[in-house]
Amino acid sequence: MKQSRRTFMQGSAAAVAALGFPNIVRAADVIKIGQVNASPAAEIGWSKQHALGIDAIKAKYGDRVEVTVVDSIFVPQDAERVFRELAAKGHKLIFGTSFSLGTPMQKVAPRFPDVAFEHCSGIVHLKNLGTFEAKYYEGMYVAGVAAGHMSKTGRLGFVGGFPIPDIVGPANAFLLGAQSVRSDATCDVVFLNSWFDPAKEKEAALALLAQGADVLVGMTDTGVCVQTAQEKGVLSVGYASDLRTFGPDSQLTSVVLDWSSDYLDAASGVVDGDWTSTVRWSGFKKGVVKMAPYNDVIPADVRDKLTKLEADIASGATHPYAGEIKDADGNIRVAAGSVLPDADIRSFNWLVAGMNGSLG
Amino acid sequence: MQAMTRRLELTNITKRYPGVIANDAITLGVSAGEIHAILGENGAGKSTLMKIIYGAVAADDGEIRFEGKPLGVHSPGHSRHLGIEMVYQHFSLFETVSVAQNIALCQDGRLELTALGDRIRQTAERYGLVVDPDKIVFDLSVGERQQVEILRCLLQKPKLLILDEPTSVLAPQAIDQLFEVLRALAKDGCSILYISHKLDEVRALCDSATVLRNGKVTGDVDPRQATSHELAVMMVGSDLPMTKMPKTTVSAEPVLRVKNLSAEPFGEKGRKLSDITLDVHAGEVVGIAGVSGNGQSELAVCLSGEALDPNSLIQLDGADIGHLPPDRRRKMGLAYVPEERLGRGAVPTHSLMQNAILTGYVRGLAHMGLVKKARARAFANATIDRYSVKTNGAGAQANSLSGGNLQKYILGRELSLEPRLLIAAQPTWGVDVGAASFVRQKIVDLSRNGAAVLIISEELDELLEICDRIHVLSNGRLSAAIPRGEATREKLGLNIGGATLHLPGSGEEPSDAAAH
Amino acid sequence: MQLRIEPRVTTSIVIQGLAPIIAVTMTLVLGGILFAAMGYPPLETLWAFFIEPISTIYGASELLVKAVPLVIIATGLAIGFRANIWNIGAEGQLTIGAIAATGIGLYFPDQQAVYLLALMFLAGCLGGLFWAGIAAYLRARFHTSEILVTLMLTYIAALILSWLVRGPWRDPAGFNFPQTALLPPAGLIDPIDFAYRVTGSVYFAIFALIAMWFFVARSFQGYKLAVGGAAPRAARYAGFSEKSAIWIGLLTGGAAAGIAGFFEVAGPLGQLSPIISPGYGFAAIIVAFIGRLHPVGILLGGLFLALIYLGGESVQLGYGIPAPITRVFQGLLLFFLLASEFAVSHRIVRVKEAH
Repeated sequence: MKQSRRTFMQGSAAAVAALGFPNIVRAADVIKIGQVNASPAAEIGWSKQHALGIDAIKAKYGDRVEVTVVDSIFVPQDAERVFRELAAKGHKLIFGTSFSLGTPMQKVAPRFPDVAFEHCSGIVHLKNLGTFEAKYYEGMYVAGVAAGHMSKTGRLGFVGGFPIPDIVGPANAFLLGAQSVRSDATCDVVFLNSWFDPAKEKEAALALLAQGADVLVGMTDTGVCVQTAQEKGVLSVGYASDLRTFGPDSQLTSVVLDWSSDYLDAASGVVDGDWTSTVRWSGFKKGVVKMAPYNDVIPADVRDKLTKLEADIASGATHPYAGEIKDADGNIRVAAGSVLPDADIRSFNWLVAGMNGSLG
Repeated sequence: MQAMTRRLELTNITKRYPGVIANDAITLGVSAGEIHAILGENGAGKSTLMKIIYGAVAADDGEIRFEGKPLGVHSPGHSRHLGIEMVYQHFSLFETVSVAQNIALCQDGRLELTALGDRIRQTAERYGLVVDPDKIVFDLSVGERQQVEILRCLLQKPKLLILDEPTSVLAPQAIDQLFEVLRALAKDGCSILYISHKLDEVRALCDSATVLRNGKVTGDVDPRQATSHELAVMMVGSDLPMTKMPKTTVSAEPVLRVKNLSAEPFGEKGRKLSDITLDVHAGEVVGIAGVSGNGQSELAVCLSGEALDPNSLIQLDGADIGHLPPDRRRKMGLAYVPEERLGRGAVPTHSLMQNAILTGYVRGLAHMGLVKKARARAFANATIDRYSVKTNGAGAQANSLSGGNLQKYILGRELSLEPRLLIAAQPTWGVDVGAASFVRQKIVDLSRNGAAVLIISEELDELLEICDRIHVLSNGRLSAAIPRGEATREKLGLNIGGATLHLPGSGEEPSDAAAH
Repeated sequence: MQLRIEPRVTTSIVIQGLAPIIAVTMTLVLGGILFAAMGYPPLETLWAFFIEPISTIYGASELLVKAVPLVIIATGLAIGFRANIWNIGAEGQLTIGAIAATGIGLYFPDQQAVYLLALMFLAGCLGGLFWAGIAAYLRARFHTSEILVTLMLTYIAALILSWLVRGPWRDPAGFNFPQTALLPPAGLIDPIDFAYRVTGSVYFAIFALIAMWFFVARSFQGYKLAVGGAAPRAARYAGFSEKSAIWIGLLTGGAAAGIAGFFEVAGPLGQLSPIISPGYGFAAIIVAFIGRLHPVGILLGGLFLALIYLGGESVQLGYGIPAPITRVFQGLLLFFLLASEFAVSHRIVRVKEAH
């Protein structure tokens, strides 16, 4: 955790000197990079995967970068100040890792035109504010195919943090994947309205199991779904990190997020002086989305199929949202032979046929 | 009584504080098994003397001998070691733990709680104390808590027990019980020093009395032989003025008219009021005699408006007030001195100036929604002066005053409001003898100036002294009024009827009590 | 030997002045040890915690941004606390106030109206009043515990907010993300200076402090509430209505919290999102108490609490000290402060000896 150096010294150098504190002189070419997280640091989940992104930068650039991480910035009022402080203290590249940090970043970025801001899961782009995002649905589709093969009841259970497009879309993809191998598959979906609420999530997981689901997936910041499935002897799919330790028998695979390429691209842009604001949105192709090793309970031939499917999606040969797709009311939303346009994927706010639940 | 060596002997005990001699060459002796009263007004030096005996304060001069041996400079711990125990006026118990655990806290060495519980039960039984070691102190009444304190002392097998104004917090029934315990204790040879300013109690309980005034001994008497008047003269130092009761003409129409008032009892110890009919005219003082707990508090709150009963007829100067809250009644000229001073008649943590506003708002201490601090301070200072309230001034907190002084302040405050109707419960409870007679005169003067006054009191002597008519409230029912002149202790006692009018220590026969 | 804690009758000025200094010293020493044990340079970390955040004008302005809502809410709550009316749900009242203000801001027909802000202010105030009023009504009518009701209403308010930002009020241009559209320019309070985030809310906070002082020290109603708080039976004896004390005690807190909600949403936030307050409504309770329910104390308490928030961020930023450690340090600081406060007003006595 001790990533930062005595950055605060700049602001109060005179006072510090007067008090006889050691004044640390930094090498002039060290580039300062900041990261702001809405949630606390953790061993698994969203924040952990972003911490790995920072680690990738440190591994590549070593002493040439200096990193400051600020955790647990829950509210926008505080976020705005923290981004400002980071920028004012000479950080040249600042990552915001939660959607909720968007508005503050949009307010601060224009005041510091020389600083590169990178917002994960953001929707607004400015001259010096870029965004990066993962194609979660690619991974969830493959996980859905695995679930379709393995489910006995044909009922899946999905627990989501919030009913936002980044979750609703992957939930649909999960079922579409399952339906691609058994057309009768259905999926019950519950939203917690929280990323981290283990008690509530456990309740939701148990409720889904009671309704007959035998494969659970939780797009939250915990391992609760995988763990619950393990306890109840049913199957599960992990998300964000490989959650095998929570369910060595239950986890079929996990949709692992690996932001290293995004972090490294942004860092190299800043180090080389050619950073520009971009919209990064990648999945299997750039390795931002990866499947955790498939569990041995999946037959070997199915595992091979899944691996091939990953490659097909990466190459574009297969598209998870390929028509024909109907919504829950039976309307055709994607015609046969076409795929859902990117703009619609990024604003997904409807459920496909076979999904039971509401977007609250 | 005059043993070879007395249990406690004080010779020329002197204690000086800057500007005042608290104890001036005090000499007294207490024998084994003797209940000895230290009688005196507030500030006479009683408490200082007790602290010197207990070792909490060192004397400047003089000698203390305990069982013949001189006590030099000693500490309370040393005193307890010798068998001297003290029960304070205010208790020091932890409310959230049990009686046994409280008592265990002041025992030396390791203790087995169950064994202690048995000892507590045995000792309690022996002296007629009702103490359950397993009860949580929080659930105990004030009287029961005092019993716990006493029992805590008894477990140390004391030779001398000092009690500081033990009855000031007790209901009459509990006082009787306390006296039984103390008598039993004395019979076992324990000496008791009993500090009080209540003449009746001292006369009922004590074998001997030392009267103090201004730090000096003014009398060594057998209180059973002396009259209350004689004792009072020793305490006050001059012949007490009898209250002057000028002839009065009462108004034709009553100021307060109560007809068929009924009320449900408050709490466990309350009494249902039934069918109370009562008139009080301008120019007269009407008394209500009887023992507390017979409907006294219910009557008072119905009249003050703290409890509302729209169905009963209560009129003030002909206007119905039964449905009006206290502030509306006060604005119509009602003033009220409640029985409890701290917490009801006054806000403990507020200054006297702030406490003036509590009821003085009806007389301009609050105006146009604002508090008039300067006026309130002047009002408070005037009350302090006129009623000789001993305090640092209007800025002193109410809870820094002694009970008697606060009572004087509250009474003075209510009288200063120039009420049309004054209701006072136990007006001189805890007030010095001298100050009490002054207060009584003020009450009579108020009525003679055209106000109606209703006094609710347990003290028959007081009622007989200042009332024009006296009712008795017993079992929630009000007797017919007996006019002054016809009212005697005997008659009132008869009216109290089956309900026993206990005076402290008077035993079971009310007529006995009425006789002294 | 029996020990007992009892209030001190008199407290020397020296002790009163010394206590907070001792408390802060103790915290600094213990905090220094804590930081050193974690492997951070203690002196520099403490400097970063207390001095660094306010060493610039921008830092000082941020201190105000953080302190102003705390102070506004705490003044309102303190009125109730003085009367033993325990409004624990200022957080919910703030939320409803912010919702009401945003509702006006987003849906008032004339989006350019110059009086739009005034309407939003009023709506925020009424929203807070209404939310606290529910608890007041239940307490006055059914003797329901206002502690529970206000606290529970906080959760209801949070759920209403959650529903609004995900449902009917969701920004149509926001890709389904849970937040409302930005308020129109006429519904936003400009900062006093565009270099900073401090808005006119700071003037309102000053006004609230003065109004509270006047109410407490000068008004008859304030006096009545104080009597009710210190001695309920004395209030009944004097004829001070308990019901009006309940209403006033809860409504002042509700109004203050609602107004603070307005200032947050029209100031630093500019829109509603699922979380709009870092617990201002709860922190204000601490502010009210470390300020001893007195306006000057509340001002200092609000600034102090704001400083330890900023300090926590500052050491994260400067030294990468994990957020939980900064919380521990904040907890220590509050603990010592309240303990010293208690030690000043109380003493431990050996019961038998000292009387």
